Amino acid sequence: MSRSRPLSPNIQIYRPQLTSVLSIANRITGVVLGLGGFGLVAWLVAAALGPQPYAAVQSAFISWPGQVLLVGFTFAFFLHLCGGIRHLVWDSGRGFELGSIYASGWAVVAASVVLTAATWVASAVLGG
Amino acid sequence: MIIRSSSQVPRATLLKRFPVPKNFGLSEGSRIQRGRTWPAPAGARRTKTLQIYRYDPDADKTPRLDTFEVDLDDCGPMVLDALIWIKDKVDSTLTFRRSCREGVCGSCAMNMDGTNWLACTRSISDLGTPATIYPLANMRIIKDLVPDLTHVFAQYEMIEPWLKSHTPTPERERRQSVAERQQLDGYYECILCFCCTSGCPSHWWNGDRFLGPAALLQAWRWLADSRDEATEERLDKLEDPFRLYRCHTILNCTRTCPKGLNPGKAIAEEKKAILARRS
Amino acid sequence: MDRERMGSPLARAIGLGSAKSGVEHWWAERVSAVALVPLTLWFVASTIAHIRSDHAGFVAWLRGFPTMVLMILLLLALFHHTALGLQVVIEDYVHSGLKLPAVVAVRLLCFAVAAAGILATLKIAWG
Repeated sequence: MSRSRPLSPNIQIYRPQLTSVLSIANRITGVVLGLGGFGLVAWLVAAALGPQPYAAVQSAFISWPGQVLLVGFTFAFFLHLCGGIRHLVWDSGRGFELGSIYASGWAVVAASVVLTAATWVASAVLGG
Repeated sequence: MIIRSSSQVPRATLLKRFPVPKNFGLSEGSRIQRGRTWPAPAGARRTKTLQIYRYDPDADKTPRLDTFEVDLDDCGPMVLDALIWIKDKVDSTLTFRRSCREGVCGSCAMNMDGTNWLACTRSISDLGTPATIYPLANMRIIKDLVPDLTHVFAQYEMIEPWLKSHTPTPERERRQSVAERQQLDGYYECILCFCCTSGCPSHWWNGDRFLGPAALLQAWRWLADSRDEATEERLDKLEDPFRLYRCHTILNCTRTCPKGLNPGKAIAEEKKAILARRS
Repeated sequence: MDRERMGSPLARAIGLGSAKSGVEHWWAERVSAVALVPLTLWFVASTIAHIRSDHAGFVAWLRGFPTMVLMILLLLALFHHTALGLQVVIEDYVHSGLKLPAVVAVRLLCFAVAAAGILATLKIAWG
């Protein structure tokens, strides 16, 4: 009998925990930000080409779907930034006790929400 | 919300599993079907429902999930006690590894309610209803809850878990100060249950080449040992984009270790050592 | 059991042996990350501060020498970090023959887009 052995389920049954959820969130936001980088260059190229292409890109940003995307993008940015700093602290060898892992994890989530809100409040106040 | 020890059982969570289909990515021979239901014996007052992964290589084409109702007044408090009760009173074909029943041998490692732990040190009362019992995640299954640990043990063998020295054997012991011996604390206690490696998503996707937290923790145990003289070769063998650097500090390993050890920290120390020797 | 591969489990675990390198990629990702912390925060702050600007205002802002330098540094660090990060993501999930072409394509794309961004910045500032 040469049937190969079945593989036990992994992601199908493994419990999502703060550890794995924040890690995959850091990766997803990283990929999103990478796409955002292309968007940044599109904006710069539009500006380099002249006032009309620039105005076209700007109007896309100002439209309400554009604004929704930008809010999401800002949250992704702060989540990846705070998560990235958490990673840099780990790379120095610190913060590996479970209590610290969980505390820093929740701090990253809270900070990202607060910073996103602060950014958008500031831009509303300054921009009108 | 703040977990301070890996023995803390996860309580209410938003998600019991990641939002993927039940048999997502599993090949045909690995997909789980619904299995038999075994009701509680007559007269049982306190019962617990356990859904247990079953696979019989002689009879089954695919694995299945059997449902057992355990009489809690007739068996001990730990999940291993429930499994032994089932094997004794209900279905003698239920197969699982076990030995010490006190959390020191590592035989009964399995996935209970979504997290890897030892069945002999997990209380039945800590499980949900119905409780789900699967073998260690992402392992080839020999039968029921018995995984094939050949590959993960081969990865352990590869890191050469023994003292390597070039200086001649001393007449008496190889001396080590108290502080030097303390460098091994938190690493020598590993019982090689492979809960950590089995819970690592990076090992799920790249387990053929990524060593995984268990082997890497033991690799650090030997790197940190002041009596060992093969540090250079050990680090050379580890410094590889897949063997070591598939670790992205996900930290499921530290969360799930039933002995409270910290593979994530050991791996960070290895990365620091590799950086230190070239800077 | 009839198996295609009959090497020992140890041989399979060893594979092709250790590359004896890998820290360079890891280190570069960290260095570019450290650079990106102040650069991205500067960018977000500047965007908020200049939210009312039209094209002329944007050009005037970018013409400032410090602004131009920071923007170019941002693009360099951002696309270096992005290329390294995406390479790791591809290596993690793609195991077929598609892996190497995908890594090459992503690296070249990041380089090209970074170059376009830098040249656009220079054109705005000097053109």
